[in-house]
Amino acid sequence: MIKTALVVDDSPTMRQMVAFTLTNAGFNVLEAEDGKDAVTKVAGGPKINIVVTDLNMPKMDGISLIKELRKMAAFKFTPILMLTTESAADKKQAGKDAGATGWIVKPFNPEVMLKIIAKVLPA
Amino acid sequence: MSNDFSQFQEAFFEEAGDHLAIVEEGLLALEQHPEDLDLLNKIFRSAHSIKGTSGMFGFNAVAQFTHKMETLLDLLRNGQKVVTLEIADLLLKSTDCLKTLIDAAKTGSPVDGDTVQRLTGELASASDLKVEAELKVKAEAKVEGGPSESSLTSALTSTFLIAWTPPEWLFQRGLDPLQIFKELANLGTLSQVAVDTSKLPELVAMDPEKCYLAWTMKLETAKDRQVVDAVFEFVREDSVLVIEQVKVEAKAKVEGGPSESSLTSALTSTCEPGEPKPLGEILVETGIVSRETLNHALAQQKRVGQILIEQHAATPQQVEQALQKQKQQESASQSKKTDTASIRVDTAKIDKLINLVGELVITQSMLSDLGSRFEMSQISVLLERMAQLERNTREIQERVMGIRMLPIGTAFSRFPRLVRDLSARAGKKIQLVLSGEETELDKTVIESIGDPLTHLVRNSADHGLEPPEERLDNNKPELGTIRLNAFHEGGNICITVEDDGRGLNRDKILAKAVKQGLIAENEKLSDDQIWLLIFKPGFSTAEKVTDVSGRGVGMDVVKRNIEGLGGTVSIKTALGKGTVFTLKLPLTLAIIEGMTVRVGKDTYIVPLLSILESIQPKAEVMKTVIGKGELINVRSTYLPMMRLYDVFCLQPEYTDPTKAILLILETEGERVAVMVDEILGQQQVVIKSMEQNFRKVAGVAGATILGDGTVGFILDVRGLLEMSRQSMLVAA
Repeated sequence: MIKTALVVDDSPTMRQMVAFTLTNAGFNVLEAEDGKDAVTKVAGGPKINIVVTDLNMPKMDGISLIKELRKMAAFKFTPILMLTTESAADKKQAGKDAGATGWIVKPFNPEVMLKIIAKVLPA
Repeated sequence: MSNDFSQFQEAFFEEAGDHLAIVEEGLLALEQHPEDLDLLNKIFRSAHSIKGTSGMFGFNAVAQFTHKMETLLDLLRNGQKVVTLEIADLLLKSTDCLKTLIDAAKTGSPVDGDTVQRLTGELASASDLKVEAELKVKAEAKVEGGPSESSLTSALTSTFLIAWTPPEWLFQRGLDPLQIFKELANLGTLSQVAVDTSKLPELVAMDPEKCYLAWTMKLETAKDRQVVDAVFEFVREDSVLVIEQVKVEAKAKVEGGPSESSLTSALTSTCEPGEPKPLGEILVETGIVSRETLNHALAQQKRVGQILIEQHAATPQQVEQALQKQKQQESASQSKKTDTASIRVDTAKIDKLINLVGELVITQSMLSDLGSRFEMSQISVLLERMAQLERNTREIQERVMGIRMLPIGTAFSRFPRLVRDLSARAGKKIQLVLSGEETELDKTVIESIGDPLTHLVRNSADHGLEPPEERLDNNKPELGTIRLNAFHEGGNICITVEDDGRGLNRDKILAKAVKQGLIAENEKLSDDQIWLLIFKPGFSTAEKVTDVSGRGVGMDVVKRNIEGLGGTVSIKTALGKGTVFTLKLPLTLAIIEGMTVRVGKDTYIVPLLSILESIQPKAEVMKTVIGKGELINVRSTYLPMMRLYDVFCLQPEYTDPTKAILLILETEGERVAVMVDEILGQQQVVIKSMEQNFRKVAGVAGATILGDGTVGFILDVRGLLEMSRQSMLVAA
């Protein structure tokens, strides 16, 4: 079955690159430009198998988005990866506290990104 | 599968440009509102985006520099540092530096390494960064970036005993223990997996969303400890995890100490993932040859050129030349790449266009349906359909032109910074007020008006506005104002640059013009004509040439540039009150609204914008003045009159002005009456350049193809005015 990934990033270039990597890996990709956009788009949208989200975004940041998603029944156990440049421990901890499954460090190598996704996404 | 990101580079540069503008604008606004947290967050996010994305393309200089800026910005938004003038200044300079770094990444233009170095240092000291902390961050990032790479070297089989007690909330973060076992099994042989159910509560007390289990297992693997650790990357810190290495079996002899292995990883990491490894690497990995032996062998390897020279197949010079050529081709292909201009279009615009094309298709099918069974009685239906087709075509044309339309704000955005710098350097207090930024005009026009506008703003700041003392003496507020405004007026766009400074000084300009021999001493000129003198080449009334005004671009260049775009510059000024420069530009360079006129059998097009009115004169308003040619009195103003058939040597229908029609044309405040036989109608025409297809012809701005397939010439009103003046001189 084709899996759907939700990619959230306010930088169109970054979002396209993540989407490109995932599309090449056979994912169906849903893109959103910030947390608020993501929340709107998942409502009534297709079932999302994995979420990859940036943290620093206008309107609704990544941490708030993760919290919002975890409140929804459909996202209770969905793997959510944070896409982050900050290796600072507090950001990572804040993400984990919000319910993030793991993280991908920017700049990312597509192979590494797919490996990390394979790590958290049940086949 | 190809994961080549290079196709996204162009998009990145565009995006980076936008972010730079946001950062710069934000920093300027921050000086006024240093406490504005939203603003700081916005600036931070933009810097952050540049950093993250530039890293993706390996623009490390950009990423590293932005990282420094971001660190400082982060401290500012967390309130650990306060925005001072120095910090704002440093960040602005850093933004400039970042711009050059991004340009360098884009076009390979040179970068001033010293500036980068100095600013990096200043940013670091402004952020009170400790060098060790910085290093640690980098080291961490490296480990996380490539856990898979370190797995390439090991040739040992180890046995690990693993005891793992995950946190209770494991499932709530979307983690699945099964995934971890699968990953471990992929590393080697996983055995003796035992589950500890002792913590499992009674069924009633159990929360099915919590994890009460713990596991122990044995893993035999050729990978090293780091790789095994990496499996637990996302849970390690929250789990009770013991990984014990119990047995190491050597399967091959491994050479060297830590320096060797780092060398190996450095070398292997240069291979593209997925590409087969070089022979030498495999030989070293399997232990057949040592790293030193391989390096020694590699050092003896020769380049193709060297081998050819030794075999006397080519001379060293020939090889050298070929190498040069190769380099040239490389740089040529690079520069070609950066030349492609792209435009970002709002998807809404494209959607509308698709919609319109749909309508066009419908109209077309209705017409062909009508055509297949047409009867004369349906003529009104046909006309109606034709009108619909015309509507569709015109609307599509407008929309397609609209794609090239961008808000002028992109051209305005450079000015807040410019004015800030100008006011600092000139010791004047200046505020800049922008309005009409959302006014749209053609992309090429926007790109070309940047320099002329910059010059006008510089001119206002430097010559127009007075120093603060002088302003106070004249009962003016100390703070001078420069206003930039853009608005649509008819089919044109007007941009005004306005200052509340001293205004143009009539006597000073006249004196200067006489001194420079631009006009005769006792020549009588109207005010408007005097103001236009400042656009003459070499004209400058400034007593001193400042750093600001001296840029090799004079007002004459401003005028030339604007006229090159088919626009005009006009001046309104009041002594002691200020000056307004008005640039009038066409919305697009490709199409003009024209009035078709007939002279004899030929059709000419007059740009609609320059037509004031058309009249049929009475005999008594015509005058012939010696030295001035023919004049016509229009409501007590005498205008020079030109017979178009005289100018282009045509056979007219009428030679008597009272039977013909006079068009009153205006450009740059000057008027002329042009005599034609008949006005045919109004239509949009696509301009074809005369210079590109033939050569420049006086009085003709371009050509176009008319509805009946013949060529019509577009009149150059300015050129005609010049010609009328010339002929007056000749007549005189």
